[in-house]
Amino acid sequence: MIMTLSGIHPRSMGDLFPEPDPFDPALNLEETHIKEGYNDGYSDGLVTGREEGRLVGLKDGFEKGEELGFYRGCVDVWNSVIRVDPSHFSTRVQKSVKAMDSLLQTYPVMDPENEQIQDILNDLRLKFRAICGSIGVKLEYEGYPGGGGGDTKDFSF
Amino acid sequence: MEFHDGAEPKLWELQTLEGHNDRVWSVSWNPVTGSSGVPLVFASCSGDKTVRVWEQDGATLSWTCKEVLEETHTRTVRSCAWSPCGKMLATASFDATSAVWKYVGGDYECVATLEGHENEVKSVSWNASGSLLATCGRDKSVWIWESLPGNEFECVSVLQGHKQDVKMVRWHPNMDVLFSCSYDNTVKIWAEDGDDDWHCVQTLTEDNNGHSSTVWALAFNAEGDKMVTCSDDLTIKIWETDVKQMLSGGGYAPWNHVCTLSGYHDRTIFSVHWSSDGFIATGAADDAIRLFAEGSNGLDDGASLKMVMRKDKAHEMDVNSVQWSPGESRILASASDDGTIKLWKLEN
Repeated sequence: MIMTLSGIHPRSMGDLFPEPDPFDPALNLEETHIKEGYNDGYSDGLVTGREEGRLVGLKDGFEKGEELGFYRGCVDVWNSVIRVDPSHFSTRVQKSVKAMDSLLQTYPVMDPENEQIQDILNDLRLKFRAICGSIGVKLEYEGYPGGGGGDTKDFSF
Repeated sequence: MEFHDGAEPKLWELQTLEGHNDRVWSVSWNPVTGSSGVPLVFASCSGDKTVRVWEQDGATLSWTCKEVLEETHTRTVRSCAWSPCGKMLATASFDATSAVWKYVGGDYECVATLEGHENEVKSVSWNASGSLLATCGRDKSVWIWESLPGNEFECVSVLQGHKQDVKMVRWHPNMDVLFSCSYDNTVKIWAEDGDDDWHCVQTLTEDNNGHSSTVWALAFNAEGDKMVTCSDDLTIKIWETDVKQMLSGGGYAPWNHVCTLSGYHDRTIFSVHWSSDGFIATGAADDAIRLFAEGSNGLDDGASLKMVMRKDKAHEMDVNSVQWSPGESRILASASDDGTIKLWKLEN
């Protein structure tokens, strides 16, 4: 028997180049439709997802920006007070104001995926509440996060 | 402490005090009264938004209301605590504020209002030296305030960590270590790492033999090396620490579970208090007061805790608070949803 150059037996060539099965499209109908549906959904989702993401980002960015700006304003006023009358606030309050100032400066505004953001925000919120408690003021703005005092139910245990 | 079989301790009802117009949540004894001829004084606080100060008459031994502290809190007063020097009374209210009162010129005056909690304040506690005040509330936070001259209070720290409503805060009797217990089933222990830096140094969780439901209250024994906690899970648990290590500057010594007393209560236990002579009193939702004490059971493991007395129907409704008097008089005060306070005498 003569071996062909590629060493492939002529008979098995059929496995490399199978003849088109006339029933293939019918048998693969479901799979074809699944693929088509997936592709349609993917491209639709890409568009709506991007738009939704944009809106969520805007909302979240606005809220965080508003909160940070609020703290910035408070800290600036408190710093002015300290400059004008260094004895008006206690050492502890002054230290907390300074700490808030520093936190505001380190907040990674341009890096919303930064893992430290939530920690810095929590720290800012706690220091803000402590300072307000110490100097005896209630400062907030509409939409201030964490306002749990709105409910007026008369019962609690 | 030991007791003999057959000489079961008894709780004699001395008096029922009426006056509050709503459930009484808590009572607090003035720690500098009850000895050296000074008549016993305690305060009670209520859903009627007031605090009442009660005093025992030295001659007749009966109790009367000396003062009603009103027109300050705008909602339920949930907890009250006398400062260690006995001169100031702190009150915690559902109106989200805590107030500090001083006895000035024959009258109790509100000398400070502490604001900061976002909603209902549940508990207030002074540290051993009276320099610090702790509060906690439904906003899940614990606040530490420093008492400064001129009735000024400054916020030292706002502590977050509990995942739910914090029911009670208590300072350790000898050290500036703060304990809090919560609807999140845990007890948290907070200590200072120098210079206002407070953080949670230990959490007693369900996984470490802790409670499996709301922890309502905690109390320490006289020596400060043991603590008892009570819970909605129908058990009370005993914890201990190496207090010598902590007092000698060896750093924080963790608290470990000693034992759990279950099967004695079939409704939520709201209050627990440890007397100076070793009796643990509990107040529960089944209107009963129970006493537990250590008794030698002859086994090698030393003393073990068991229930030594049970007063069913101590009140008409839930018992919210039980507190042993200071000094040696062995008087127990109990406060209830039924609007009354009862004074009991322990005899065994």
